[in-house]
Amino acid sequence: MKSLLSNPIFILIVRVFLGGLFVVSSLDKIIYPEAFTVSILNYKVVDETFAILTATTLPWLELICGFLLIIGVYSRTSALILTTLLMGFTILIVSALIRGLDISCGCFTQDPNAEKIGYRKILENVGFILMGVYLVFAKVEGITLLQVLRKKSDFPPSLS
Amino acid sequence: MKRKIIREVLLIVGLAILLGFVFTFITKQGFFSNKSSSNSSVKNSLEIIPLQKAKELFESKEALFIDSRHEFEYKLGHIEGAINIALNELESKSTQLDSIPKNKLIIIYCDGADCNSSVELGVKCLESGFTNIKIFFGGWQEWKNANFPIVK
Repeated sequence: MKSLLSNPIFILIVRVFLGGLFVVSSLDKIIYPEAFTVSILNYKVVDETFAILTATTLPWLELICGFLLIIGVYSRTSALILTTLLMGFTILIVSALIRGLDISCGCFTQDPNAEKIGYRKILENVGFILMGVYLVFAKVEGITLLQVLRKKSDFPPSLS
Repeated sequence: MKRKIIREVLLIVGLAILLGFVFTFITKQGFFSNKSSSNSSVKNSLEIIPLQKAKELFESKEALFIDSRHEFEYKLGHIEGAINIALNELESKSTQLDSIPKNKLIIIYCDGADCNSSVELGVKCLESGFTNIKIFFGGWQEWKNANFPIVK
């Protein structure tokens, strides 16, 4: 277990996967903030002003954290933010399912007919949360883009 | 360590807020959308009616009730005679809306006071040229609790 938490290759794969996932999911929301506002309102938990505020800022938070996770800068903090977001999304989906709402997730695309919320989505999110938690506790600074660019001497031998 | 993480979180969140507002300002979306300000004035011209008024208009049979909730919720129960045009299915149901005379009295409702799809659909109907739109803000919950005619 300890070796898994410090395995630079595994950490890199998880980092790039989770980071890439959030970068991709943020793009549609950034391009269509009004559609994302409707997706948020569909959950019926916040008013319009808060939904617009969320649709304005949240996709950028996803993009920045995803990007930082990929390049390996502020990795632990980015993983922490993304994991917190994922937990929040999952709670929202569970609450919507309990209330019997038949709505689209609004996670990757803002098409109202795509990707309806359901138990599969919750399982998917739990998987991503586990990846995020792993990155919070792993030695994520093992390989970073800055290190590659600077060609630091302490570059992990297993990757050189 | 904790202080370092808090500092980084604040930096990232601050940057996200800044970029979000700059982007939506440049692209005229979200808070800076012209459409939302014109929507606000259109919204103000929508008449919100209480339960008793909705019931009177229901009994007069002059009004067409439109349920703006999702089809799934509509099928579980709706006001008698109401048709379903969910806000997110507006495009696919545009022919249904086009078949209604523009001066027809239309009453739109959604689940209740905590939903706003009825208002959003009302705005879209006004923009499409309908002249007599009213919003029954109490919606399905208020109607059902009053034991008024419903279809299940």
